Amino acid sequence: MTTVRDTTRGRPLNTPEPAGKGPRIKVVLGKMRFDAHDVGARYIMRKLVDAGMEVVFIRFALVEELVDAAVQEDVHVIGLSSLTGGHLSVGKDLADAVEAAGLGDRLLVIGGVIADDDRASLKAAGFDGVFGPGTKAETIVDFIRTNVTAA
Amino acid sequence: MATKLNAETAAHEQLELFSASRLPLKPYYTPSDREGKPYDEIGDPGDYPFTRGFHKTAYNKTPWMMQQVLGAGNADETREIMDRLVTEGMEGYFGHAVFNVVFDNPTKGGIDPDRAEAKGHVGVGGMNFSHLDDIRRLVKDLPLDKINLSMITGDTCLIALAMYAVAAEEAGYEPQQLRGNSMNWLLKSFCVDNPDFPPRNAQKLVVQLIKYCTENMPYWNTTNFSGYLIREAGCSGVQELAFTLAWGISTIQACVDAGLDVDAFAPRLGFQIAFHNDFFEEIAKLRALRRMWAKVLKERFGATNPRAMHARVHIHTAGDTLLAQQPQNNIVRVALQALGSMLAGVQSVHSCAYTETLQIPNEEQARLALRTQQIVLHETGGAKVADPLGGSWYLEQLTDDIEARAWEIIDEIDGMGGFVASIESGWVKSQIVDELFETQDRINDGELVRVGLNKYEVEEAAETKPDVFTVDPAIEQEAIRRITEWKANRDQDEVQRRLEEVRRAAAADDYLMPKLIDAVKAKATQGEIMDVFKDVYGWGFVTN
Repeated sequence: MTTVRDTTRGRPLNTPEPAGKGPRIKVVLGKMRFDAHDVGARYIMRKLVDAGMEVVFIRFALVEELVDAAVQEDVHVIGLSSLTGGHLSVGKDLADAVEAAGLGDRLLVIGGVIADDDRASLKAAGFDGVFGPGTKAETIVDFIRTNVTAA
Repeated sequence: MATKLNAETAAHEQLELFSASRLPLKPYYTPSDREGKPYDEIGDPGDYPFTRGFHKTAYNKTPWMMQQVLGAGNADETREIMDRLVTEGMEGYFGHAVFNVVFDNPTKGGIDPDRAEAKGHVGVGGMNFSHLDDIRRLVKDLPLDKINLSMITGDTCLIALAMYAVAAEEAGYEPQQLRGNSMNWLLKSFCVDNPDFPPRNAQKLVVQLIKYCTENMPYWNTTNFSGYLIREAGCSGVQELAFTLAWGISTIQACVDAGLDVDAFAPRLGFQIAFHNDFFEEIAKLRALRRMWAKVLKERFGATNPRAMHARVHIHTAGDTLLAQQPQNNIVRVALQALGSMLAGVQSVHSCAYTETLQIPNEEQARLALRTQQIVLHETGGAKVADPLGGSWYLEQLTDDIEARAWEIIDEIDGMGGFVASIESGWVKSQIVDELFETQDRINDGELVRVGLNKYEVEEAAETKPDVFTVDPAIEQEAIRRITEWKANRDQDEVQRRLEEVRRAAAADDYLMPKLIDAVKAKATQGEIMDVFKDVYGWGFVTN
């Protein structure tokens, strides 16, 4: 496992931080063991930071490691990036572990190479948001801002 | 009339045209663009510097190899796919069978299927391969002196090769008879976001494999400098060219430093390159690659064997260009990329299935991907003449320009102390990531058109949903059962002794392959040998 806190680079996001915002939204974004396809995760991570969020990026993780980090960092959002298939099984494991760790009230999202048909299973397993290939960065940012409860 | 012409000229001058890698373009080119540039700098096909390819006979003696990546489940499933694709006409040079086998992620990371970390990944996206019996099953009854076997794995490639050599020997074939490809991608940590051996130690293993093969396996292609991996990580075409060459240069240097003869080992080095969207830039890139590699071998390393100067290329059509939206559009994309590959005169092509954005292909999707190449070869007439686009004032200019840009980057890397140093400092990764952010921003904002994604979208209900290949979950249990049985039925002391010998040889930088072969014969598993390597050489992330 390795954590990376990102720096901002490149052109600004089209959805700047809203005025009168509450505390910074904290996100842990993870990729599982062996899943080296990092283009999407790195891009989304950068966009979340541009949108004023704090992101911890964990590579090559097991479900337990991702959940531990979520607990330690006391995050609002737990995100999984999955591009090697297996999202149904590892997704279920993650959703169950998140619940068991008492983080069931946090926003749980998944993105990557996910067929539309799998959306329902992932939602049923406990994911609040499912973002397939080509999802625009603004869609994810808006979803998180709308759904993270400030309380 | 005069006014209209003036307006057109003015408009022409105002156009800002760029290729995908931001090379400047003109709306048209003329002979004056080649003024003062001798043809010698290009050369005939078959003549130094090989811009136009290696054969005066084009593809007429034999077409390029149709080397489709395949692998799923365990060895039995994968063998079925191999046999089926042969009946579908998948062929290598002169009609010989060619198999481009990819392994699953645990295998590539040296994790045996009975480890907890492998759960959910066994047989997914590639074949599971952990011990000698796997490779025995894979190649059972095949004429190993006639087939060409590529094994797609980076960090475990020495072990995989040792296993294949042992299985071949059991079947009655000497290493000297074997034909195929090791990736030797140990130095990929800068672009593949997985843990790896530290670059300097990775380079040692690379040299060990080249040394063994140069001495024992004259028909084995030892190394595959994979621009494809770098491109898929987000770099541009120019960067792909430059970084791949820098990678190659550093490997040659390491081998020369280890006392190997460049004329002997360089002919068995090769390249894996992406064919991306920008049709003419990609062709120019490949012509520039050939020319630059020839110059590097001759001028930088003093090679005299012409075959040492040949940059033999396997194309993997760019997965990065394929979309999950309206997936059938990918059939068109891959067809164009396969056409471009032929026009660029490459040695081998893998053409992606249209469902690649969702999963590895099922039977029908794999057939279509192969048919794409077969149609390009047999129906377009484009394979009869070598470098058919050569001499285009546009293409020659683009080839010169992409070469010049790539030399600038290579010079910069030399200035940093070489490719390994530029990886260790994180420079290469940061260059790739900067480019990836730029490209993704342009796609996100709709500036870079991706048909079906940011332009010409359809409602979700109208989207095609192809069947996707699924791996039988029972495969994982079967793999665990097989390796458990394997480990239970061997002389445990002998295994430990042989693993200890591998450890000693690795720690002392001694000749490794014979020790690996002994360990394999003692029935050590891939994971067990990799554990020794990881312990001796170190293992972890090289960059952020």
